[in-house]
Parts: sequence; C-alpha cells; structure tokens
Amino acid sequence: MILASIGLILLIAGVICDVFGAIGMHRFDNFYLRLHAATVGTIGGKFYPLIGVALIAADMRLWPIAGIALLSALLVMITAPVGSHALAFAAAEKNLVPIEKNEFTGDSR
Amino acid sequence: MRELPVFIVAFVLYIVVTGSMTLYDIITGVITGVTAALLFSKHLIKNPKKALNPCRWLSFLIYFIKYVTVIELRAHLDVMKRIITKETRPGIVKVPITVRDEYGRFLVANSITNTPGTVTVYMDDEYAYVNWISVETDDMEERRRKILEEFEKNAIKIFGGADE
Repeated sequence: MILASIGLILLIAGVICDVFGAIGMHRFDNFYLRLHAATVGTIGGKFYPLIGVALIAADMRLWPIAGIALLSALLVMITAPVGSHALAFAAAEKNLVPIEKNEFTGDSR
Repeated sequence: MRELPVFIVAFVLYIVVTGSMTLYDIITGVITGVTAALLFSKHLIKNPKKALNPCRWLSFLIYFIKYVTVIELRAHLDVMKRIITKETRPGIVKVPITVRDEYGRFLVANSITNTPGTVTVYMDDEYAYVNWISVETDDMEERRRKILEEFEKNAIKIFGGADE
C-alpha cells in the first residue's frame, strides 16, 4: 500500500514535469534553452514515472513488470543524455545557433 | 578474474528483468551472464579489483540515491521556475575538470546533462564545455563549484581519480 502510494506520487510528479517541459518548449525561444526543457521532460517526465510504475507493480507482486520498468528507468537515465550531447555538440561545433556567451570556439580546442 | 564483475552485473540484471527465481531462470541467467562476460569483459574492465570493491559500489548507490532525490529535485524546481519567469541568460562556459578515469568522466558528463539547467557540450583533457541556462559568474572556480564539484567528488570516490 505504501509502495503504491509512493508510486502514484511519482506518476503525478511525472505528469507535472511533462506539462512543464511542454510549456518550456513553447516559451523558450532558443535552441539551447529548449534542450533544458527537454531534460525536464525526459528525467522528470520519464525516469520518475517508470520508477513509480515499478513500485506500483512491486506492491501488486507483479515482479517481471517491476523489473522491466526499473531497468527501463535506468536505461533512460544512461542513454537519454547521449542525444542531448549530440544535439548540443552539433549545434555548437558548426555555430548554427547564435548564443550570447560562447567559450566553445575553434581556438579553445 | 576480469570476467567476474561483468558476470555478476549481467546475472543480476537478468534476474531483475525476469522477476523470478525459479531454477529455469537461474540456469538461463547463468548462461547469459557467462556469455556476456566472455564477450565484453576485455572491453569493459581494466582493473577487476577496483570493479569488485564493495565500498565503491556502496558509494555509487549512495550517490545515485542522493542524485535522484535531492540534486534532481533542486534542479527541476529551478528550471520550472525559469520556465515561468523566463529569467535566462544561456551560454556555453568552460569549466575545469580533474577526473581522468574514463568511467568517471562519463559519470560526470551524464550527471551534468541529466540535471536540467546544464548540458555537456564537449569535454577535452582539462575542460568541460557546459551549456548553462543562466550564466551567473565569470570566475572558473565559482562555476566549477556550482556546476560539477559534487559530481566530480563522487566520481573520484567511485571510480578513482586517475585512469587506472
């Protein structure tokens, strides 16, 4: 019962994070700022709900579902940043998006 | 010896995913673990003693729990506030980094990217280039303290400072 309640709280927190991530995507007008809104969507909006699902499943003794949800959460945690790194690096390397302060220039490497 | 840590991780993950401890699952888990260990251990493990040290695993667990609760919560609330107020000053800043171990650097880079508000753009031998949502200071030490000191401290505790 306690596990399921914690899981439910995590699911609701995930919904809130996803809504904020979506709002951020529209409100921020710069590519680099949108990346941060996307992080709120991936970590807050996917990692925590998956942990919540794992806890609810564990409460109902559905161990395979709990295990797969837990593993998916960890995989999201490890692999999600790779996409962000790739996008940010590509944009910064080719100087595609203007940014106010940029210390990552050709000379610094 | 090198195969043991990979076998343990693969076996534990297999058991967690199947969610059962019947004889059939244990046997298939052992087969999976041995296969994974034979195939990947020489690419993954350089120093088996370090990988089998329970203190390092314990500090990793403590760091992980602290990371997903305190650090993430603080960063999420900060970015949510900025989404509403639009108080931003984005910039790519240079931050000194001292960790040399490859896994340690991976942990630091991923920790930075996974906290909303900072994204790692590039990392060379001495500096990490971080896209920061609001550049607050020009002082490198101050930046280091704000962005990655905690991650770095834990990465050194878990993986060691030098590339061993």
